[in-house]
Amino acid sequence: MHEWSLALSLVQTLDRWALEHGVEIKRVVLSVPSPAQLDVSVLNEAFDALKRESRLERAKLEVKVRSPRYRCRACGYEFGQEEVDPQIRRIAGEYGEEYPLHLIPELLPTFVKCPKCGSHDIEAELSIKIEEVETT
Amino acid sequence: MRPLLELARDKLKRRKVIAVMSGKGGVGKSVVASLLALSIRGSALIDLDLSGMSIPKLFGVSGKLHEVGREGVEPIVVGGLKLFSLGGIVGDRYVVLPGYGQAGAVEALIAFAKLGDADTVIVDMPPGMGEELLALGRIASYVPVVVTTPSKASYKVVKQLVDYLIEVGRKPRAFILNMAYVECGGARIYPFGRGDEARRLGENVGARVYEIPIDPSLEDYVGRLHEYRGPVAEAVRDVARGL
Ligand SMILES: Nc1ncnc2c1ncn2[C@@H]1O[C@H](COP(=O)(O)OP(=O)(O)O)[C@@H](O)[C@H]1O
Ligand SMILES: [Mg+2]
Ligand SMILES: [Zn+2]
Repeated sequence: MHEWSLALSLVQTLDRWALEHGVEIKRVVLSVPSPAQLDVSVLNEAFDALKRESRLERAKLEVKVRSPRYRCRACGYEFGQEEVDPQIRRIAGEYGEEYPLHLIPELLPTFVKCPKCGSHDIEAELSIKIEEVETT
Repeated sequence: MRPLLELARDKLKRRKVIAVMSGKGGVGKSVVASLLALSIRGSALIDLDLSGMSIPKLFGVSGKLHEVGREGVEPIVVGGLKLFSLGGIVGDRYVVLPGYGQAGAVEALIAFAKLGDADTVIVDMPPGMGEELLALGRIASYVPVVVTTPSKASYKVVKQLVDYLIEVGRKPRAFILNMAYVECGGARIYPFGRGDEARRLGENVGARVYEIPIDPSLEDYVGRLHEYRGPVAEAVRDVARGL
């Protein structure tokens, strides 16, 4: 369900931006980190419903799900999503629908440990970003 | 562009944001923030002490999760007050985060909070001058309410915070000497001294200075602070009127 509030934030932010710049938006590329486990089809559905009567009316949303690279700041170990996934599955199982990283992916270090040394001091690019905006 | 930062800014733009802060921990920020929110009709309370998360504990809703709907995060409502806390996202669990994680949490919590018609937002800040303070500064032009105790141990830390606030153009509106005195048979006893240094600091930056008494019975209301009607609440109402 959270996909809707995310889509709303996207439409509101870009609509205002488009108004300020006197443009219409044709295409948006949104980059989301995979630990957020966002449902891309719901995100698209929400976007299409919310964009009506805005400067995004004719915009197409492209969602890129990226797998971050991780680095432990305690021991320096670098690792990929495949070493994080088992831990993510466990957390998702504990919380069910209210899975915290779904709402705030930046909370990942609270829940995930370095596979080598067990530290929570993990660095990664986890924000939800607008990567590209095409206007007319 | 980060849509959540933009949305968080937008959320707070038309509201009065009062940030209760101190360089020091344990001086009563969370109690003051909560009682302020309870005494200002139509306000919402946002807990930005990401690791402390005192607000759910003070109101007896630890472990209770926020409902998340299509329009964002629903408040936890206690005694008519709307609360938002990371505790309502992670539940009864510790939070440990590097700076970028704290920034993301602050931005998302504010961006998704369904503040409704709350025209005043009270923010309970963590002690010190970390990422949460910087993040709030990116999002909103807040009005600081500084809390300290009259103790000399608090003074220096609080002075540094006040210096910073002045430098970034956020003058404290109120300066609170909490746990200042005990009422004893009509007389006031000041166990930590009168706090003259702290008082002067507040006055010098043009803030109103308030004293709040120690009320031992407050402890009985931890977990149901919305039912507390004692002298601390009364003193905080005075602060609210001056804001
Ligand atoms: N005026 C007061 N009288 C009695 N107890 C108080 C008073 N102010 C705060 N306290 C108690 O002091 C402790 C710290 O308060 P808290 O609000 O959590 O501080 P902070 O948020 O600054 O860390 C709590 O147990 C609180 O109940
Ligand atoms: Mg506190
Ligand atoms: Zn490590």
